[in-house]
Amino acid sequence: MELPIRLIATLVLASSVTAGMATAAPNFASDRAAILAHYAAEARKADPGFKGFSAAAGRAFFLAHPAGARPATPSCSYCHTTDPRNPGRTRAGKVILPMAVSRTPSRFTKLSKVRLWFRRNCQSVYRRQCTAVEKGNYITFMASQ
Amino acid sequence: MPPFLRNLIDRIAPMPRGDSVRVWPWTVRAFHWSLVLAVGVAAVTGFVGGMSALTLHLVAGIAIPVLILLRIGVGLFGGGYARFDSFPPSKHAALEHLEDIRGGRHERHLGHNPLGALMVYAMMAVLLLIVLTGTAALAGMFKQGPFRGFIGFNAGWLIYGLHQPLAWLLVMMVAAHLWGVWFEGTRGHENLVAAMIHGRKAAEPPAPPPPARRAHPLLAAASGIGAVAVATLLVYRASTAPVGGLPPAKLDPAYAEQCGACHTPYSPVLAPAAVWRQLMGDLRHHFGEDASLGDPRLHQRILDYLVANSAEHSDTLLSHRMMQRNPADPMRITATRFWRFMHGGIPARVFARKKVGGRGNCSACHQDARSGRFLPENIHIPD
Repeated sequence: MELPIRLIATLVLASSVTAGMATAAPNFASDRAAILAHYAAEARKADPGFKGFSAAAGRAFFLAHPAGARPATPSCSYCHTTDPRNPGRTRAGKVILPMAVSRTPSRFTKLSKVRLWFRRNCQSVYRRQCTAVEKGNYITFMASQ
Repeated sequence: MPPFLRNLIDRIAPMPRGDSVRVWPWTVRAFHWSLVLAVGVAAVTGFVGGMSALTLHLVAGIAIPVLILLRIGVGLFGGGYARFDSFPPSKHAALEHLEDIRGGRHERHLGHNPLGALMVYAMMAVLLLIVLTGTAALAGMFKQGPFRGFIGFNAGWLIYGLHQPLAWLLVMMVAAHLWGVWFEGTRGHENLVAAMIHGRKAAEPPAPPPPARRAHPLLAAASGIGAVAVATLLVYRASTAPVGGLPPAKLDPAYAEQCGACHTPYSPVLAPAAVWRQLMGDLRHHFGEDASLGDPRLHQRILDYLVANSAEHSDTLLSHRMMQRNPADPMRITATRFWRFMHGGIPARVFARKKVGGRGNCSACHQDARSGRFLPENIHIPD
């Protein structure tokens, strides 16, 4: 009997592609929600009266020029541009993908990465570590963009 | 041929008045003017073209030995004044010719005169030497070309020191050749340049004919083309030899991801191990930014990779020059004397272009920056 090689091959290929897509497409929204929940819990610990994050406060934080910032990095928006839907640029000339979640859906979906960059960039712009509320506001603002 | 074109050629290269004889066959004329073109391109790209003209320089450098090999085929088996034994190199004849000039005597030579003959052989020899030294330099400095598996940087650099003086020697020889053409043409009342274009000279006054040897056009072509084929095969065989001293072709993925997040991931070949250790020793203050990784194992992995592939581990011009740091600012690549020398001719506004993104963004123009090769032909400056 002749095996329907083509049919089998097509079926195997189709099923593996479907399976691959199901596992490869991460659920960005729920990952981001988990990170926001993490910062909300931290914020509540510091202040039991914490009411929730604010996109407007995140926007102000993003645009602010804090006194004492490193001269090379006077504000978040200095590198990311004032519209987070635009790509930014590092001091070394490298293009930064937009921070806005609508443009870069994978933003704020990996806690280790989020921590690393808040630690570095808060130090550069604000010369201190940011609070959980500030981080949560920032993410909320970017998620709304 | 349209009449206006024929007119133009007649004006540039007028035929001798009266009866004329064929002196230069088309092979010699084609060789001569092709060589003029190839040497002209090689000279312009080599003397004033800079690094970005290297590709064209190499094309000319390939054309020159091919032309000479074909000419040797014609010289051995062709006929008439094209054949080498019609103008044998002879010190005696050359001295006699000089005596004639000094004494104001003029013995007519239809083919090459004895001094011109010496110049023909000398120019071909010097040209081949220039090609060989250039090929060796290319191998030692860039790990390119047929000798790349055989010649280290130090040897290549030394040989490169001969390449340019030889080129200047050739410039002087070309000048002497042009003077000779002018001098002999003037005193013999002949347009020698026109003769090299249309191939004919006046039949009068009579001159000794070339030695009566039968021409073998097929043999001449076969030997020339055969020599080119053998040379090509040798070049190909040589270029398949294993090449040592190259920078790592691919970047470590963790290094490329972490360090490449902010800047173009610099190939480890761009700094010696001591600089990488110093740099990785204080990532909290990394050119004015906090670049610390917050993961000791990742940090160690990246440091190990950089040290294991640092400039000491390659043998190119770039790796050797990147060992020489600016004592005032040892960590900065753009502070090295070599970087400044190589980029000295580029105006500040080019670095300010949006697509370039500053002096530190190597990969904006160097398409092969990640491989650490930085070959001249891979430079493309965006608008």
